[in-house]
Amino acid sequence: MSNDGKPVTIIMIEDDEGHARLIEKNIRRAGVSNQILPFTNGTDALNFLMGPDGTGENNKGRQLLVLLDLNLPDMTGVDILEKVKGNEHTKRSPVVVLTTTDDQREIQRCYDLGANVYITKPVDYEGFANAIRQLGLFFAVMQVPETE
Amino acid sequence: MPISTNAFVRSTALMLLIGFLALMAIVGTSIWLVEQNQGWFEQTTQARLARAATVNLRTAMQDAETGQRGFLLTGEDRYLAPYDGNIGRIPEMLDRVDDVLQPYPDSEATVPMIRNAVSAKLAEMQQTIDLYRAGNRDGALALVLSDTGKEAMDQARSYFERIIEDADRLIVEGVENQRGASTALRWVTIIGAFVIFAVVGGSAWTVLIYTRELAAARQEVEAANAGLEERVRERTSDLGRANEEIQRFAYIVTHDLRAPLVNIMGFTSELETSVGTLSSYMAKAPETSDPYFVEAKLAATEDLPEAITFIRAATRKMDGLINAILKISREGRRQLKPEQINLREFIDAAANAVHHQVAETGGAIVADVVVPRLVSDRLSLEQVLGNLLDNAIKYRHPERPIQIAIRAHNSPGNRIDIEVEDNGRGIAATDHERVFELFRRSGVQSQPGEGIGLAHVRTMARSLGGDVTLRSELGVGTTFIISLPRDLRSVPGRQTA
Repeated sequence: MSNDGKPVTIIMIEDDEGHARLIEKNIRRAGVSNQILPFTNGTDALNFLMGPDGTGENNKGRQLLVLLDLNLPDMTGVDILEKVKGNEHTKRSPVVVLTTTDDQREIQRCYDLGANVYITKPVDYEGFANAIRQLGLFFAVMQVPETE
Repeated sequence: MPISTNAFVRSTALMLLIGFLALMAIVGTSIWLVEQNQGWFEQTTQARLARAATVNLRTAMQDAETGQRGFLLTGEDRYLAPYDGNIGRIPEMLDRVDDVLQPYPDSEATVPMIRNAVSAKLAEMQQTIDLYRAGNRDGALALVLSDTGKEAMDQARSYFERIIEDADRLIVEGVENQRGASTALRWVTIIGAFVIFAVVGGSAWTVLIYTRELAAARQEVEAANAGLEERVRERTSDLGRANEEIQRFAYIVTHDLRAPLVNIMGFTSELETSVGTLSSYMAKAPETSDPYFVEAKLAATEDLPEAITFIRAATRKMDGLINAILKISREGRRQLKPEQINLREFIDAAANAVHHQVAETGGAIVADVVVPRLVSDRLSLEQVLGNLLDNAIKYRHPERPIQIAIRAHNSPGNRIDIEVEDNGRGIAATDHERVFELFRRSGVQSQPGEGIGLAHVRTMARSLGGDVTLRSELGVGTTFIISLPRDLRSVPGRQTA
């Protein structure tokens, strides 16, 4: 995953640290060596994404990919998705929603809000690991634009 | 005053009977009294006729006598005119008297005596007149003076008077009786009318009271019914809500349970990989006598892999159970789509799906569908029937070919029963209810399974507004009965879009 040699940072927002670790391991197994920044709650993640001034200017020139869980302790992932896609600087950053919900309305809502990929976490571990690995392979070939 | 139905029927019948009897009494008495009156009237008429005839005869006799006497006194024919005028009519009058006296039994003796007296008098009068005309005036007077004529006349007169008296008495009596009869008739009519009025009034009052009570009772029933319906609706929606909550609860719980389980399984997998690396390294390491190394090698090559195997087995089992609950809760949350289902085709399709497995054992499936149509959720029904057929095949009797009968027929309450009967190994009576519970199985555990199928079947049948029950004899076979509403849309509180 690259863009003119500049590194893409994966922002992983996942409240379950075990899941976060398993996701990271499986992505790495797919050959993705980009930096992964884990966040276990929405507030910290938003602080990083939008910067201390809340404008998102701090990430100008970086390439970000957001891996988002919808069930967070302090807010729902939908709130974060809305803010990322509504911000002038971060709106082009790909957002991959990776969550347990398979409710059709929730999926539709996420795509309506601009989510790029929606993946339901498989209920069994084999499927889970497999899905993450495939996601990692996908990451390896995708282009990520620079934030403005 | 409440009137029971029995009392009402009895009192109404009694009143009708009284009214009928009163009417009969009035009619009977009237007819009898009119008959009586007729009798009295006829008696009076007869008496009048008798009196008139008698008076006429007497007058004629007296006139004749007057004529005879005048002629004998004067010798002139013109005094004889009353005699001549009446003498010819007397026999006729006599016959008339005889006629009118017929009804009176004592007249039998009287009439001949009157006849005798009258003919004696007539003879005497004729004789005197003849003597006088012959010039024997003295002879005629002597005959008169002999009193034969007078005696006969007196006799006749006394008879006449008696008849007239009798007739008068009868007339008075008849009129009296007639008056009495009409008075009686009037009283009978008045009393009867009172009785009928009383009966009609009583009946009308009873009917009125009863009708009013009926109306009040009906109103009460209607009110109670409306209240009951309202309560049923409330309870049904409460139940629906509770059911939804339970399903949501099951869904959330299973979801939340699954998240740590994915971790356990994931890290077990990681651990396994690490242990694999470790144990292969330890296996290749040169043997030393260091007891720590021996222990570490044992742990890496035996204890750790064994522990991981057990953890894996346990988590896989737990994963299976959680997935089962998830499946059932997902099924309960699924929006049902009621549609018209042709049961005959539907059952044939379900039977065809397992035809191969049944034919392998030399068995057969027979379908007998009396009810052709049903409105329900096709997918759920397919799963219910498919599950039951799979069970019938899975738990067949090892010593005989499978025989499955599927029957669909009407049952009371606008419902349809679908029966799936097999000749399999059967279910012991103690397990008839238990087999429907989640994760519970019955009999020899010779087949793989988690004990989900029938729980799932029952959940789906219930979400279709129905239920599933069974009849079974161990070693003989089992019949599952799916009871469904004919139209899913008519089920109150159903969870459909």
